[in-house]
Amino acid sequence: MQSVIVVVEHKKGHTRKVTFELATRARKLADALGGKAHAVVLGAGAAALGEQLKQYPLDLVHVSEDADVDRYLVDPTIDYVDAVAKSAGPSLILTANTMFGRDVAGRLIARLSAGYNADATDVRVEGGQVRVIAPKLGGATMTTSAFKNCDYGVVTVRPNAFAAAPGGAAQVVELAKPAGKTYTMVVEEEVEEASGEIGLEEAAVVISGGRGLGGPEPFTTLLKPLADALGGAVGATRAAADAGWVPYSLQIGQTGKTVSPQLYVAVGISGAIQHKVGMRTAGTIVAINKDPGVPIAEFADLLVVGDLFKIIPELTKMVHDAKAAHV
Amino acid sequence: MTVKLVPDVNAEKRIDPATRRLVRTGVDTVLNPYDEYAIEAALQLKEKLGEGTTVTVFSMAPESGKETVRKALAMGADDAVMLTDAGLEGSDVWDTAFALAQGLKKHGFDLVICGSLSDDGSTGGVPGAIAEYLGVPGFTNARHLDVADGRLRVQRETDNGYQTVSGPLPALVSVTMAVGEPRYASLKGIMGAKKKTIAVQTPADAGIAQPLGASGAKTELLEFAPPPARSKARVVTAEDGPSGAAAIFEFLKEKKLA
Ligand SMILES: Cc1cc2nc3c(=O)[nH]c(=O)nc-3n(C[C@H](O)[C@H](O)[C@H](O)COP(=O)(O)OP(=O)(O)OC[C@H]3O[C@@H](n4cnc5c(N)ncnc54)[C@H](O)[C@@H]3O)c2cc1C
Ligand SMILES: Nc1ncnc2c1ncn2[C@@H]1O[C@H](COP(=O)(O)O)[C@@H](O)[C@H]1O
Repeated sequence: MQSVIVVVEHKKGHTRKVTFELATRARKLADALGGKAHAVVLGAGAAALGEQLKQYPLDLVHVSEDADVDRYLVDPTIDYVDAVAKSAGPSLILTANTMFGRDVAGRLIARLSAGYNADATDVRVEGGQVRVIAPKLGGATMTTSAFKNCDYGVVTVRPNAFAAAPGGAAQVVELAKPAGKTYTMVVEEEVEEASGEIGLEEAAVVISGGRGLGGPEPFTTLLKPLADALGGAVGATRAAADAGWVPYSLQIGQTGKTVSPQLYVAVGISGAIQHKVGMRTAGTIVAINKDPGVPIAEFADLLVVGDLFKIIPELTKMVHDAKAAHV
Repeated sequence: MTVKLVPDVNAEKRIDPATRRLVRTGVDTVLNPYDEYAIEAALQLKEKLGEGTTVTVFSMAPESGKETVRKALAMGADDAVMLTDAGLEGSDVWDTAFALAQGLKKHGFDLVICGSLSDDGSTGGVPGAIAEYLGVPGFTNARHLDVADGRLRVQRETDNGYQTVSGPLPALVSVTMAVGEPRYASLKGIMGAKKKTIAVQTPADAGIAQPLGASGAKTELLEFAPPPARSKARVVTAEDGPSGAAAIFEFLKEKKLA
């Protein structure tokens, strides 16, 4: 593998921080492998985002505004990435470890006979070989893997794994539409339930609520204001999602999202193993719970035993006051 | 539908230093939790479409997993195929998807239903790769599915909501836990499952000529180690709201997080 290709996830040209993290890392990896750093940006808004990506240390940014990319599920995207990969030659393909990224990865495994490593927290080159570091078995083991028997390797990378640093002068090139393709998976309707300004998986701060919140309201009246004050996003346990208090897109854990924020605040959450595996790699974990014997005490950094309904409003106020004092 | 057998989800899992594979002995083998939802989705669809619909459990697993596969039959599936061979040991995502796709092709299908994620592998890559190898539409992360007039319509979860997508059959879909709680096997179902067929398919039966398993895999585990340990929490008992908030705020300042 020589080149590095970043498959960019975006909505109408708006992307997440992880795109710039991957673009920055791609440069370093491509240099170590002796190849080029590419990005592929597809669909409505691709041209504008391509311009933005020019400020990152890539060699080539491949763009296409082809309407089929948004009209049909995944297939057109794979055809474009396939074309870029074939012209780039043996390469490492990076995408974010999100639903979109895992979809792209799954398809590429077969299309390119590629090796696949999911949910990486680090990707390096050692002795000219790609090394992928990823927590496995629910974070109980940190693994280092290599690729073999393949020209292409696909890695989905956890947001917040790398720093993003601009600098560079990439060239933007227009992709030609793959010839002779018909698509069948028609996107009929798109509904956004959690149109949070900050994506949960890449938020530096996550304020997460569980069954202890007792209903849907405290998520908006208590957690959201604290998340806003700390510049973070709101998450939840499966218990809260199953109860219908929040959409499943906020669920963190084994069957939900995996997050690695700098700060994770677990509010009214017991810390079941299935929840723990989705947040145990957070930098600092603070728990608020009325039960001193709660399992989360085993792996949180700070447990405050008390009533969340009394503590959260006060804490939000303190954060606001401190901010006001600084300006 | 495709079903993976995984070590008990609540057991502490580890990797064998010698083989660099997940230790599967000494731990109960269970159906991958997501795949129980795939079975549920398949059975719901069968109930809707009526007689003439057959639900087949398809699993790539060692012969020792037979009794676990039978649990899927006890839930109500009609029969099972196990893709089994010593040469499949040590398979990674690529081997698994490739082998399952060849096996499914040989067996025939109108709709393949997978789970979204396996409890042990957790890559979620297998369903999409199978769809690509089969050359059929592949809808991942479905929370609702419906078949009408030879078309599959799926409501699928996205990172911030959901979307409705449709396509022609044959097709593949992977489901999330929102499709409905898996039913329990009834006593009648358990008894009935004993008489149901579990056919064994070898890679040769599926028309696979190339080496799979560890020698065909495209990834190799080099090292593994426990993650840096997290110590137990510092515990502060809050008498009231302000003191609890102050304890957190001071801690955040100390960690330079506020
Ligand atoms: C196959 C499978 C997959 C799963 N996947 C996931 C997953 O992805 N994510 C996930 O989160 N779970 C998952 N679960 C569920 C998991 O096992 C737990 O049931 C769930 O995480 C518990 O959620 P909770 O902590 O909100 O609720 P509980 O365990 O009920 O905890 C609520 C906590 O709130 C505290 N509390 C109550 N009132 C107050 C108050 N006023 N002030 C302070 N504290 C209060 C209580 O002391 C308690 O500790 C899964 C389970 C299975 C079987
Ligand atoms: N060995 C297997 N046999 C049958 N189905 C499998 C196997 N491995 C994976 N799958 C299917 O693919 C889904 C996703 O698994 P994974 O890609 O390993 O996370 C599972 O929920 C199963 O439906």
